[in-house]
Amino acid sequence: MHKQECIAMLLAGGQGSRLGSLTRNIAKPAVSFCGKYRIIDFSLSNCANSNINTVGVLTQYKPFLLNSYIGLGSAWNLDNPFGGVHILPPFVGEHELSWYKGTANAIFQNLKFIDFFDPDYVLIISGDHIYKMNYLSMLNYHKEKGSEITISTIEVPWEEVSRFGIVSLNEEGRIIKFTEKIANPDSNLASMGIYIFNWPILKQALLEDEQDQVSENDFGKNIIPKQIELGRKLYAYKFQGYWRDVGTIESYYNANMEFLKGDEAINLFDPAQRVFSNEDILPPQYIGPKARINNSLISNGCVVLGDVSYSVLAPGAYVGEGASIKNSILLPNARVSGHAKINKTIVGENAKIMSYCSIGIEEDSVVRQAGITVIEDHYVLGKGSVIYAGSNLYSTR
Amino acid sequence: MQNAIGILFGNNGSDSLSLRGLTSERSIAAVPFGGRYRILDFALSSMVNSGLWTIGLITPRHYRSILDHLGAGKDWFLDRKSGGLFILPGAIHGLSGENGKFRLKDLQLNIEYLQKDLSENIIISGCNHIFNINYNEALESHRNEKADVTLIYKESTDLSAMKGKERLVISDNQDVLDILDVSDTNSTIACPRKQNYFLDMLIIRRTLLLEIVDGYRSIEAINLIEAIRENIRTLKIIGVPFTGYFGVINSVKDYFDRSMELLDPIICREVLMGHDRIHTKIVDNPPTKHGNQAITANSIISSGCIIEGEVRNSILSREVIVEAGASISNSIIMQKCKVSSGSRLDHVILDKFVQVYPGNILKGNKNSPLVVLKGSLV
Repeated sequence: MHKQECIAMLLAGGQGSRLGSLTRNIAKPAVSFCGKYRIIDFSLSNCANSNINTVGVLTQYKPFLLNSYIGLGSAWNLDNPFGGVHILPPFVGEHELSWYKGTANAIFQNLKFIDFFDPDYVLIISGDHIYKMNYLSMLNYHKEKGSEITISTIEVPWEEVSRFGIVSLNEEGRIIKFTEKIANPDSNLASMGIYIFNWPILKQALLEDEQDQVSENDFGKNIIPKQIELGRKLYAYKFQGYWRDVGTIESYYNANMEFLKGDEAINLFDPAQRVFSNEDILPPQYIGPKARINNSLISNGCVVLGDVSYSVLAPGAYVGEGASIKNSILLPNARVSGHAKINKTIVGENAKIMSYCSIGIEEDSVVRQAGITVIEDHYVLGKGSVIYAGSNLYSTR
Repeated sequence: MQNAIGILFGNNGSDSLSLRGLTSERSIAAVPFGGRYRILDFALSSMVNSGLWTIGLITPRHYRSILDHLGAGKDWFLDRKSGGLFILPGAIHGLSGENGKFRLKDLQLNIEYLQKDLSENIIISGCNHIFNINYNEALESHRNEKADVTLIYKESTDLSAMKGKERLVISDNQDVLDILDVSDTNSTIACPRKQNYFLDMLIIRRTLLLEIVDGYRSIEAINLIEAIRENIRTLKIIGVPFTGYFGVINSVKDYFDRSMELLDPIICREVLMGHDRIHTKIVDNPPTKHGNQAITANSIISSGCIIEGEVRNSILSREVIVEAGASISNSIIMQKCKVSSGSRLDHVILDKFVQVYPGNILKGNKNSPLVVLKGSLV
């Protein structure tokens, strides 16, 4: 086996319960995003574009679709004989426990996997963020500073700081404090959940953490604060660019809409840093004679016969004649029949909206879920149904 | 998986300059079609979808674009440990030109491909037509009837749509009694109007094909169909009808008409959206962006386009840019073309990488669409 300088461990086991009905059937990293992509495409493409060829993907929650989507990693150019993509589900050994208890525990249970490649550095990333980043620049920074642990950070608006893990720096950029999700921290530099560890440091930290009975085995809550306490050299790499945690319905919806506007969002059309994805085999989109489309992203295999504005249509979506789709996201193979009216709604994969439905009707009194309606995968909404804004429709089973 | 292998004659139909500018630097098999496809995708995908895992492609004279498109055959699942895609160099026919199809010379040069395989049958087709066929039915008939050769044909009354196709005389129990040459006007057929046109797809026993190639070794210019006809009395030859869509392309007008037929939802559904999909080279493009002022109607649009202007009754390949104020109607726009603001296109075929400058008006007509050569600036 070839020794690798740096390997990536991609945490993709999270349930993503805050995404509600979007993740009832599917792991969060496998949720469709911005038309043809799935959330994990961004992390995997970053690895490919950063020449990191060995990626361990830690899966746990409803992994089947995620695993089959990743396959051998060939869609991201990651199928190579010296490294490649390895799916690492929890397993049972003589002493080990089975389920991953936390992010740190997930890596701990796969120490042998990392040892197998004997890397100098381990990059820890997660599969549920939307961003384009060259990890090599971060690795160079890590080496330059003589850092032992480097955390990638981004400045966030002060009013949102309480949602993030915040790092505080001294004047030379060294991290002196790390606080998870508290009100009024003394900095607005948020951790992006991307870490580079010197492998020996990581290994020791994980072994010690495992001995700690009260630890939650989490990088942000336990490992990082502990390492600061121990006086390790932690540095913050300041990332500039687009980065979104799409952990909630609202942030997921907003990120899709930012891509649609294309002003702030990362440029999907940039040939130098392409985002790869595992495409289905579909014909080009067909736009019908009476269709009207503006300000929308439309994918392969879509058939649009009605009106679409300010919306994102994933591969295979269908919009019938006389239907109107506004400010909405149709996930793969969603089907909206004729004369249905949809506003600010996320329609799940393979969901069917029958004709003359009205979805996302705004009420004056209360705004729930920022007015975003979500229809679960495979849901079938009967003809002429009326659904108010902010509802969540779950399939029964 | 089938006990059969495939041979695609990539040089069928690449003889003439019938598609003019579109085929000056590429063979007809490599001409882009239907947005994201090339013409050979249809023949190749039909074989792959029928369960063939070993397919040999005989190259035409200009084959750079074909090799670029196919690579190792990964997008057709043909990058295999055993079998897969074989590139078989076609013969160079000197001054006699590239006329003809299914030439035995091409098979002679690549006889090893046929010798080393152990499959019972070979499926052979051209790759200059638009169709989506599953060969399983024909293979089953071929086996059940213990046929030596199975010819796939289509009943049609439309002579012009089937121009250049041999006609078959078929008995009631589907035996092929005669193969009439294209030029053979001596009508021995009972019903003169409805004819059985041979679709350039056939199944033949591998050992028989080896015998034919060997037996006709000394004859310079003969094709497989002529060889089969000479032995029609001694061989068991059956015909299997194909009732699906079959698009013949002999001219620029044909190319234009066949392309526009894809805008017919029934044809589009049958050829592109059925159970068996047409595979093609995958490029990771983002979804197509329809901008603020975009107007699109009755069009097929591939991924990675940015549309700010007007597009009607047209077919757009990948990564086409249509600026605000530009208008495209009844046209075929190939990969990475840019149509600037204020320009108007009607009945135009833009080959790849064409840039249309602001305010220019390009107009062809239904019977002779205007072809703009690859990379032109107009």
